[in-house]
Amino acid sequence: MSANQAKRHAILAYMQNRPGVLNKVSMLIRRKMYNIDTITICESRRPGISRMTMTLCEEDERKVVQVVKQIAKIPEVIEAKSLETENSFWREVAIIKFNADPDLLKKLAHTYEFEILDHQLSGRYIVQLAGPHQWIDNFVTDLGNDKVLEMARSGFTALEK
Amino acid sequence: MQGTELVVKALQDKGVRTIFGYTGGAIMPFLDEVGRQDSIRFIMSRHEQGAAFMAQGLSRGSASSTQPQLGICVATSGPGAMNLVTGVADAGMDSVPLLAITGQVASGVIATDAFQESDVVGVMMPLAKQVYMPLKVEALEETLHEAWYLASTGRGGPVVVDIPKDIQFASAASDYAFDPATYEPDLPGFLYSPHPSPEAIGDAVELLNEARAPVILCGHGVIGSRQGANLQKLAEAADIPIAFTFHGLSAIPVDHPLSLGMVGMHGTVEANRALEHADLLIALGMRFDDRVTGKVAAFCPDAKVIHVDIDPSEIDKIIPASVAVNADLAQALPALIRHPKFLEQKRTDWLQRIDGWRQEMTATLKAEIEKGTGKGGQLLMKTIVSQLSETTQGKDLIVADVGQHQMICARFYNYQTVNSWFSSGGAGTMGCSLPMAIGVKLARPGERVWSVSGDGGFQMNIQELGTVMEYKIDIKILLLNNRFLGMVRQWQTLFFDGHYAGTPMKSPDYGPVAQGYGIPYRKVETVQEIAPALQWAADHDGPCMVEFLCDPSEIVLPMVPAGGSISDMITEVEEGGAS
Repeated sequence: MSANQAKRHAILAYMQNRPGVLNKVSMLIRRKMYNIDTITICESRRPGISRMTMTLCEEDERKVVQVVKQIAKIPEVIEAKSLETENSFWREVAIIKFNADPDLLKKLAHTYEFEILDHQLSGRYIVQLAGPHQWIDNFVTDLGNDKVLEMARSGFTALEK
Repeated sequence: MQGTELVVKALQDKGVRTIFGYTGGAIMPFLDEVGRQDSIRFIMSRHEQGAAFMAQGLSRGSASSTQPQLGICVATSGPGAMNLVTGVADAGMDSVPLLAITGQVASGVIATDAFQESDVVGVMMPLAKQVYMPLKVEALEETLHEAWYLASTGRGGPVVVDIPKDIQFASAASDYAFDPATYEPDLPGFLYSPHPSPEAIGDAVELLNEARAPVILCGHGVIGSRQGANLQKLAEAADIPIAFTFHGLSAIPVDHPLSLGMVGMHGTVEANRALEHADLLIALGMRFDDRVTGKVAAFCPDAKVIHVDIDPSEIDKIIPASVAVNADLAQALPALIRHPKFLEQKRTDWLQRIDGWRQEMTATLKAEIEKGTGKGGQLLMKTIVSQLSETTQGKDLIVADVGQHQMICARFYNYQTVNSWFSSGGAGTMGCSLPMAIGVKLARPGERVWSVSGDGGFQMNIQELGTVMEYKIDIKILLLNNRFLGMVRQWQTLFFDGHYAGTPMKSPDYGPVAQGYGIPYRKVETVQEIAPALQWAADHDGPCMVEFLCDPSEIVLPMVPAGGSISDMITEVEEGGAS
């Protein structure tokens, strides 16, 4: 993945919750050929205003500035800005279904905080983790990728310090 | 009140007098209401694309007026709306305010593949500045006013309102209640910052004062903001030459001593050479299109750039700005000129250097224009356009199609009237001229309008001769027929070893075609006939058409090859290729 060389950027945008706004953003991404990794949208504390967090890997800072400007240009978008890793928190939620014996689970519980959503006698677990991207990656490595039956990750949401 | 009444009332409130379009099942209710109003004239095009370009013509023609009109085109659902797409995309590329109103199938059958259903919002979204599909009759009034505001505020652009048929018919609980005095669109995120920051203006003035070899790049924004006079003031006070982008032409008279004419791929030698050697570019209301820059990496490497534009996303998009001024030129230009540190100065050395470049092609071009013929005694387009310029003294309005004749109109017509040059630039849509000229004429009824086309583009919207006939639109149609798609042929000559694939083209006998539409027609085959025919067309009361038999081997020069840098500019061509 190009992420190794290119810096990962997060873009935060507030937008009016009108029909087609998400479509506009995704069309813009395709039209301008931006390479987006994750995109999440939720309600903001203001009624009728949605909050979108988008991440992309890009070496060229000028291109990132252009993405922000192009998003800001969409009439429904109220504010758009770029968040740097140094001054913001980026977090993800993962729900993972896997097979494990109780010992392995205990071991994992020493290192990671997670919530067990479901546990079958067959040794099948569904757990929920929330944390940095790398932290979830590490959990999967320590668990063993071959034990994972299914995994859902939310993509990033981010907040400025 | 019924939905259609609300829409028409909103348009009347905005002073709409003309609507272009084509009827059909899903737009019938709206046009029924339009037909009941004496204050609005409905012009029926012969194809929806024609209506879109007519509406563009109205917007473009009135752009420099203190009361610009917003062109409106109307179509039915499905194929009707799809036929508007090119015109909408074209308006987006050229920042032309446009309102497209389309009928949609009834809301109850949307998404069922109903008869004549197309996803208009989905198709138009990436091309338009904004799109709407009101699903409640109560929303119509606000939607129309917001659409109008967006299309015409800041950088102009097309806005599409797609109205389901049942919403047009529906009765609203309340009556029309719009109050222009208190109206504020609910667009908290709409970027519109007409006022320049004083710091940016100060920085710009500093760069202006220090520059030894500055060039102004006058873009379309200068015309839209009605800033020709202030541009001239700035240029004269600081002795700065002006190069025009394609759409910047006619912001001020193009024969002004400081004018370099058009810049870019088919720009003048002096404009392109001046840019190559400039130490400062003052880019005003323009977007560094690839036809202006050529190879971006090699574009003006030594020049600092002051970029003034109303659209913040244009700044640093292609060429990084040393000083960025995100503002309306109507505010920025006066602020520059009136700045206490702004220095009036003479730049004699720089202008003398430019005068040298002015001579580079003058003699060749002059000789060609005077001779007037190329191979086989066939006419040269540059001679025809030069003579048109003389006949009209450069005062008339020119609406060009797309291709060689368009570049020749941009180069060889002596534009004297503000906002007198119209064509499809960014999109380069062949067939634009005839319908656009109809719109321009309706925007400027007191002025003479010439529609100049090649045989390729003319046949793309030839059906609009019917509109010219029906509404007696007094435009002068000049057809420069070289029996080829000339600009592509030129590229084939220069870059494809003269292999003319897909460019030779047969035409109908235009005499009987014109006659069929009741349009007086003349054919010109010799240099001697050019001036009398142009004079005849100018004097004729009503629409008329002149066809010229042109030399297909004429090459528009100079030419900066696509993707090349200005230093790669071709100024002469030997038989069979570039030199």
